[in-house]
Amino acid sequence: MSMDSGAPLGSDACAYTDYTPGEAPEEFPKTGEGATGVEAEIWEALYEVQDPEMPVSVVDLGLIYNVEVDGSKAIVEMTLTYTGCPARDMILNDVRCAAMTASGIDDAEVNLRYNPPWNVNMVTEQGKEHLREFGLSV
Amino acid sequence: MSLDGPHSLTPDERDAVEELLFRMADDEYVAAERYIEWQIFAPTLESDLALSNIAQDEFGHARLWYDLLQDMGYSEQECIWERDPATWTHSTLVEQPFEEGDWADAILRSYLYDTAENLRMEALVDSSYPPIADRVAKVLAEERYHREHAQSWLERLTGGEHHEKVQAAVDRLFPYALTLFAAGPNEDAIVELGLRTENLDDLREEWLEIVVPFLESLDLTVPEPDEVALPEETGRDASHTDAWFDLYEDFTHTYNELELEEPIRLRGEG
Repeated sequence: MSMDSGAPLGSDACAYTDYTPGEAPEEFPKTGEGATGVEAEIWEALYEVQDPEMPVSVVDLGLIYNVEVDGSKAIVEMTLTYTGCPARDMILNDVRCAAMTASGIDDAEVNLRYNPPWNVNMVTEQGKEHLREFGLSV
Repeated sequence: MSLDGPHSLTPDERDAVEELLFRMADDEYVAAERYIEWQIFAPTLESDLALSNIAQDEFGHARLWYDLLQDMGYSEQECIWERDPATWTHSTLVEQPFEEGDWADAILRSYLYDTAENLRMEALVDSSYPPIADRVAKVLAEERYHREHAQSWLERLTGGEHHEKVQAAVDRLFPYALTLFAAGPNEDAIVELGLRTENLDDLREEWLEIVVPFLESLDLTVPEPDEVALPEETGRDASHTDAWFDLYEDFTHTYNELELEEPIRLRGEG
């Protein structure tokens, strides 16, 4: 995600990330609420991964679409705010490494999904609060 | 009918999916390569940013489609860096070099291309190949402002001292723009399998119904489409103009010079 702080939100001119409000699809954002055991541990670890450009967790941004565990392997599905994200490999790697910190996990696969397409209403309340603290009005 | 993912395709289905993906990915990638030439020459700081941003979007979209080719077994090198330039299938519109400092060309090209791109994406919303259909909404959301940008510049450039430049760009680019709708060898299969829900002739008609009245409303003269001879090189059958081979050499120069075993990844993604 990339934008100048203080830029008008919802402006058509700010193109890196589309902040025009959309509907948050049902079941999104996913936050790991209700997860137990190793899955819960993975969600907790993912909460520590921040967007490279602002101090907000990728979970609070609504980027994590699913977490599953298959034996000792974690499978994470996530999206990006913007398809042209130049930090894609970095974020994917951060998420992968975080998932591998959970107990009993020795491998992790991170798959990108673009459906449903992310929009700003998929940011959690806590995420919006962090974005406001960072200087964005959401 | 719905196809599954990349691993359960018959050879014929696979050929059709690949052709569709390479057309899209190559169009976006090469269009972006040309746009970035404007990054330092656009007439205002805002348009420097706008053009670089549009290029960044198109690189992002190219990556979406090259990713799906990678799911089918290709590597990024095979898709881009070490691929024979004589096998790329982008339309020859997007490979055309700009005449020096010809901003009208960049703007008109973007208008013609992005209008076609939007129609193509809409014809993929219900693609029978789910990995494509799942990515279309994101692309559509990111493309809208490209057309707004091009249209507002076209309105600004016409009717005054730059009008003739825009008209010259129409005359030069229009035949190349029609190659956007030229068929490749698997076009019938692409439509029969429902990979794209409209055929190229219909997309061409819809495109003409949008671009011709808009350009004419700006007092530009648009060639009669059915009387335009398609350029000898359409790109869709992998035939290209000389400018493409020069461009390919330029953008693979650093890759070749570094002799990388594989493209550099930030923090060595595994």
